[in-house]
Amino acid sequence: MALSTTVSQRKLIKRKAPRGFLKRVFKQRKPHLRLETSSDLLVHLNCLLFVHRLAEESRTNACENKCGIIKKDHVLAAAKVILKKSRG
Amino acid sequence: MADSYSLDCEPTTRTLLRRVLDTADPLTPRRPRSARTSAQRALLETPSSKKLRSQTKMTARRRSHKARSIDRLAHIQADGHLEEQTPRTLLKNILLTAPESSIVLPESVVKPVPAPQVVQTSRRESSRGSLELQLPEVEPSTTLAPGLLAPGRRKQRLRLSVFQQGMDQGLPLSQEPYGNADASSITSSLNLTFATPLQPQSVKRPGLARRPPTRRAVDVGTFLQDIQDTSLALAPPGDSLRTPVTTLPTDTVLEDTQPFSQPLLGRSPSVQHSLPCPSHSGAKDVERAVGHRTWSSGPRLQNSGPGKPAQLMAGKVEEVGALALGFPNTSSNISGEDGVEPLQNGVGEEAEGRMKEGLSMRGVEEATGAQGSARAEEPEEHTEVTEAEGSQGAIEAKEPEGSSGDEDTPGRTASPELASSTPEFLRARRLQFPEPAPPPSTAVYTDDYSAEHPEVGWVGLTEITLTSEPPETLSARLPPRTRIPGPRPRQDPYKTGLNHYAKLFSFYAKMPMEKKSLEMVEKCLDKYFQHLCDDLEVFAAHAGRKTVRPEDLELLMRRQGLVTDQVSLHVLVERHLPLEYRQLLIPCAFSGNSVFPAQ
Repeated sequence: MALSTTVSQRKLIKRKAPRGFLKRVFKQRKPHLRLETSSDLLVHLNCLLFVHRLAEESRTNACENKCGIIKKDHVLAAAKVILKKSRG
Repeated sequence: MADSYSLDCEPTTRTLLRRVLDTADPLTPRRPRSARTSAQRALLETPSSKKLRSQTKMTARRRSHKARSIDRLAHIQADGHLEEQTPRTLLKNILLTAPESSIVLPESVVKPVPAPQVVQTSRRESSRGSLELQLPEVEPSTTLAPGLLAPGRRKQRLRLSVFQQGMDQGLPLSQEPYGNADASSITSSLNLTFATPLQPQSVKRPGLARRPPTRRAVDVGTFLQDIQDTSLALAPPGDSLRTPVTTLPTDTVLEDTQPFSQPLLGRSPSVQHSLPCPSHSGAKDVERAVGHRTWSSGPRLQNSGPGKPAQLMAGKVEEVGALALGFPNTSSNISGEDGVEPLQNGVGEEAEGRMKEGLSMRGVEEATGAQGSARAEEPEEHTEVTEAEGSQGAIEAKEPEGSSGDEDTPGRTASPELASSTPEFLRARRLQFPEPAPPPSTAVYTDDYSAEHPEVGWVGLTEITLTSEPPETLSARLPPRTRIPGPRPRQDPYKTGLNHYAKLFSFYAKMPMEKKSLEMVEKCLDKYFQHLCDDLEVFAAHAGRKTVRPEDLELLMRRQGLVTDQVSLHVLVERHLPLEYRQLLIPCAFSGNSVFPAQ
């Protein structure tokens, strides 16, 4: 007996993946492509990891500048690095 | 044995159980125990007899609880552990140990705990058998017994079946050589069953007392009653059959010309006194009907917004009920009184038509303007007052109206004829309109509005009158109504989604952030999504597919350096995704030689 393809049991999931949002974004950008069901969860995972890395980098930048607050330039510098890294 | 007992206190499960234990003929050499217990028997007789006789569960339990607990405790302490476990001994121990809420008995009378006896299978069986035999006899009381025995919990009600199950469990257990195990198991089973709350004696029936009072029926009934009463008030004038009570409100209404008048409040209760009257009484009924409608519509606004005001205007609840028989059900969105609402709807519509004739009805204005249910009562009163005044004046002033009013009166008296009464009623209403100053302007407005929303009118009208600025309220109300938030630009949901990840960013950063930095994060995310989609497209095309599959994603993550030979995709999934998603992503073997998700 296999579980259902949908998330059953309890509907309350912490940190739910915005699957609809992801699918819509993908469809808007690449209407000729299709996104499989499970792959949008992996896309969400990818986003999480990207944001995680971005946050780490920003925090590092802010700490290096001895700043208690993450400022826009910290984020900008971090984004440059991480986006380069995330380029497939 | 039971006959000799006198009912001093209410029998409880404990007492019944003790009775059972005492009365059950011990086939084993338990003479000493029985001798010891005999002293308690007298003590127990009273409660157990009572227990047998009365079937009150809780009180009996509570009563005997306290009495027993002390005795039992003394016994148990005296006799120590139970070497030989028989059902009888177990029960007695339970009775002793379980606290009771009843009067504390002197310790001297405490029954010594049955000393552990040499466990003999045969004896146990016999004892159990005797107990079993006793059980059916005291079946009604055994239901109480579990309650008595249960010390603490207040939530469970013991059932005889449960108790008997416990006893039954004890019986097969007796076959086994381990005595203590049996005792413990039996005790545990018994204890499980005896989960009755320990209530103070004052609480007679804790189970029932704890139950939340069921009010549903009453609420509906009272509501209907109130509706009918108010409908009586709203009955069209001229109803000769009106009870004197209905006349009272009219007087008060006539006297008070102010909106939000207090007398109306007094009237409502008086109206309620009058039972639903199928016939309508002239102006008073109209007033009451209006008020009633607003009132009844108020509470029901939530269910059927516009319909209610119309209904209120149309007729009294009672009338509606009568009229419902024949009146076409124009509004179907009304819940609650089925008959009433349809009738009211039809009446309301008719009333609207009348209103359009030229008379601005305050009620119409109100109906169009206000939807709030909370104000139903106020508008009701206000409407009633105004309508009462207006109706009387109008009826007197205009002959045609008067004639119609006359018609209304007899028609209303007919009651079942909603159609006639409603129009007449409305006419009477309209008669009232000329009086109030603001209504004219609002009336015009109302007519237009009512034309658009025929069903909306009545309640809103009443409410508008309450507010001294009906047109403004109407206008204020309309825009929110008609304005439909068009489809937002693509940015909005897109921004919302990005916001979702931006919040995650601030969470991961663990540091305070500026607002601008969050916007920066969103920009980065936007760029990231672009790159992501492009990469996925390339990968899918490379594989000759048009569908992006998880393999593409894994390849992407590998290229990004997230997935390495040491860290696999599954590891990342486990780390960062909630369990539900993990189940969907990572194949897992299930029973029946199946793997989900299928590989």
